[in-house]
Amino acid sequence: MITKRKNHLLGDVIPVIIIAAILIVLKEFKLISTSRLLILQYIGLYSIFVLGINMVNGYLGIFSLAHAGFMASGAYAAAISSKYFFKESWMFPLILLFGGLIAMLIGLIMSIPSFKAKGDYLAIITLGFSLIVQSFLQNWRFVGASKGINNVAKFTNIYWVYGCLLFAIIIVRKFINSKYGRSLKAIREDQVASELVSVDVKRAKTIAFAVSAFLIGISGALLVHLLGYTSPSAYGYTNIVDGLVMVYLGGMGSITGSIVGATLWQILIQTLKNLGTWRWVVGGGLLCVIMIFLTNGIFGNKELSDAIHAIRKYFSRSKTNKTISEETTK
Amino acid sequence: MNNEAIVSFKNVCMYFGGVKAIDDISFDVDEGQVFGIIGPNGAGKTTIFNVLSGIYKPTSGDIYFHNRRINNLPPNYITGNGITRTFQNIRLFENQTVLDNLKIAHYSHIHYGIMDVIFTSNRFKKEEERIEEESLAILDFMNLTAYAEQKAGALPYGAQRRIEIARALSCKPEVLLLDEPAAGMNPVEIDELNQLILKIRNQFNLTVLVVEHQMRLVMEICNEILVTNFGRKLAIGKPNDIKNNPEVLEAYLGKVKSNE
Repeated sequence: MITKRKNHLLGDVIPVIIIAAILIVLKEFKLISTSRLLILQYIGLYSIFVLGINMVNGYLGIFSLAHAGFMASGAYAAAISSKYFFKESWMFPLILLFGGLIAMLIGLIMSIPSFKAKGDYLAIITLGFSLIVQSFLQNWRFVGASKGINNVAKFTNIYWVYGCLLFAIIIVRKFINSKYGRSLKAIREDQVASELVSVDVKRAKTIAFAVSAFLIGISGALLVHLLGYTSPSAYGYTNIVDGLVMVYLGGMGSITGSIVGATLWQILIQTLKNLGTWRWVVGGGLLCVIMIFLTNGIFGNKELSDAIHAIRKYFSRSKTNKTISEETTK
Repeated sequence: MNNEAIVSFKNVCMYFGGVKAIDDISFDVDEGQVFGIIGPNGAGKTTIFNVLSGIYKPTSGDIYFHNRRINNLPPNYITGNGITRTFQNIRLFENQTVLDNLKIAHYSHIHYGIMDVIFTSNRFKKEEERIEEESLAILDFMNLTAYAEQKAGALPYGAQRRIEIARALSCKPEVLLLDEPAAGMNPVEIDELNQLILKIRNQFNLTVLVVEHQMRLVMEICNEILVTNFGRKLAIGKPNDIKNNPEVLEAYLGKVKSNE
């Protein structure tokens, strides 16, 4: 019969509390250097970014390159809002929400081409979109043109980053376990067949792009308020490749994979800082290696719970094997 | 037009450039029938299904479902409202579990919105429970319970065929379109399939349209048969009439000499 794997309250809540406790201890007792703390924040922030990318590139299975554009719009919207409207630090949630919503709005528009275009063509359209956003920002005087926005209040701290990450994980998980998430996976496998089992493909794509852009927008907003400045050059090809490396390294269609990918890549990038610009070569190189030897990434279409489940099953099986062999020897 | 009919084609044409895949075909299917569509290769049988399920928009002519014109409706809408099909070459979601395959097909009958998902409302929980129960019931009915948690793509061919039918049933159809369900089956399996089709029809009060090459299936279970050739309607009638129709024999076997 079917063994139901229930969502354990314990299994979900306890890790969150442990991680929160570790973060609080690390920050409040200053157990790690500021630069390490910054890396931790990058990890959290880019995990949100990768979760967003994974909604479209992973679960929906569309090769989209729009994430740089989404991040730019979220970052700029948030920066403008904090400069002109939400100047107090308690308004930070509003700033994040504003950044996310603006990006989501643009995401909704970007979902329209995905109704018709497929594969390579859609990839080119989304690439075009990202580059349009970049050059638009480069030429818009109001946002400082190519100089970008400076002196943005540094509201982001580690609590905000990981609070948002928790929120992002919850949102993605809820969507994935609903009918919308199931229809995304169905469309990834066979769009025509899913239409012919009554799945509303347009709606599913719209939702995927909206959630994706929303999360990416929030990560952009966090980034701006972490660094205190932003410029269009941050949302070009490097950003696009960064996002892809993290998604493919961690694994498509996996929440765990998104976080693992972001973590590994951020640590790698920071440790290779001495290489200067040469470290970006590592990014492209790694992407090639992943595509050849690790096509599914580390956690492709798997979650941590699946891995734990498999390990448990392995051990219980070896145990039963042992008892059987003991019995037979008797 | 026959008002009793659940599905009717009225002078439907479907051209692909110069190719006339369906050319001026009209027929009515009554409720509760098993309606067979036969014909040689390239006779336009599958195109009839494609037009009916909304993949193609007919070049001209009208298709009615419950006396409602459905030519221009999108496929997911048609499927969600009562006409569901299976495929000639099986098209399951291979990397999903069998249970998830069925759950995906419940899409149009799940009544919750995005807000219910975000807040995990009671309605969300109830609906998820409901579709899980319903999916398991269908699996049970199709003798597929053992496969529920397995990946659909890893299963044997016969099971995949049954899963496809189970998935189609999850859309709660009134009309079920079976596209060559007996392809690759031996006579014993076909007899089993015959029983299954009749059982499904009676259990779910369906009208079944079936495209098939296997005479063993068509002649035994169909109430009425449409014969097509080169996209045109050749004959329509009861299995016995079709069997003895000279034009049908000609299309299938070649010209019969009159003195024989």
